[in-house]
Amino acid sequence: MNPTRLTVPASPEGLTRIVAAFDAFAAATALPESVAQAAQVALDELLSNTVRAGYRSGETGHIEAAFSASDEALDIHLVDDGVAFDPLARADPDTEAPIEARPIGGLGIYFVKRLMDDVSYERVGRENHLRLRKRIIKGP
Amino acid sequence: MEIREERRDNVLVLAPVGRVDSNSAGGLETALLGRAKEPKLLVDLSSVEYISSAGLRVFLMLARKVKESGGRLALCGLGASVKQVFDLAGFSALFAIEPGVDQGVSRLSS
Repeated sequence: MNPTRLTVPASPEGLTRIVAAFDAFAAATALPESVAQAAQVALDELLSNTVRAGYRSGETGHIEAAFSASDEALDIHLVDDGVAFDPLARADPDTEAPIEARPIGGLGIYFVKRLMDDVSYERVGRENHLRLRKRIIKGP
Repeated sequence: MEIREERRDNVLVLAPVGRVDSNSAGGLETALLGRAKEPKLLVDLSSVEYISSAGLRVFLMLARKVKESGGRLALCGLGASVKQVFDLAGFSALFAIEPGVDQGVSRLSS
């Protein structure tokens, strides 16, 4: 299947369109459910961050998402024109604190790092580029 | 998001349906926190496809509220994807988790 590429406004509605486009891509490429669900969680974590914190109020922006898959791996490339932000630079959260002191900030990025096999960030001109790769292990 | 509700013995069972992400977490928060004063609350996650950190935040808030009001909370029916995220977050140690609704109800009834 040809790669899927789309550009949407950096808004919750734009994020919903990317989720729907990924669903269609996952169905067309018969991605294993576990891979598709991990990718949807990663997309939600990264893009909700971008939509919430990537732009000053009143500023509009765009997010571009591209998906491709081979027999070995799923590749996702995300580009946004928001403020420079490397999500991978953030320290991992304390996942052993008691319930009263448990932080939620930082958990999303931690999920992305753990659910994907490779994640890289690059600032290119005025754009943030994130590349995610998840290896595909076919079931019996 | 759609949340099915039933009473089993003296336990209120809430079952969200679909995906818990940044888009649906607000609806889940309203629905679950509105029930936080129930003495015995079981959340059945068997119809949840996946959950992101926006959803985990709701469960953390729910657990704190239930604790404040002196109630009891358990979760059940975690599918592979949901369980993976709970495990990664270290949440599996914070919640009473049972395989299915029957076990969840009997745990809260004991």
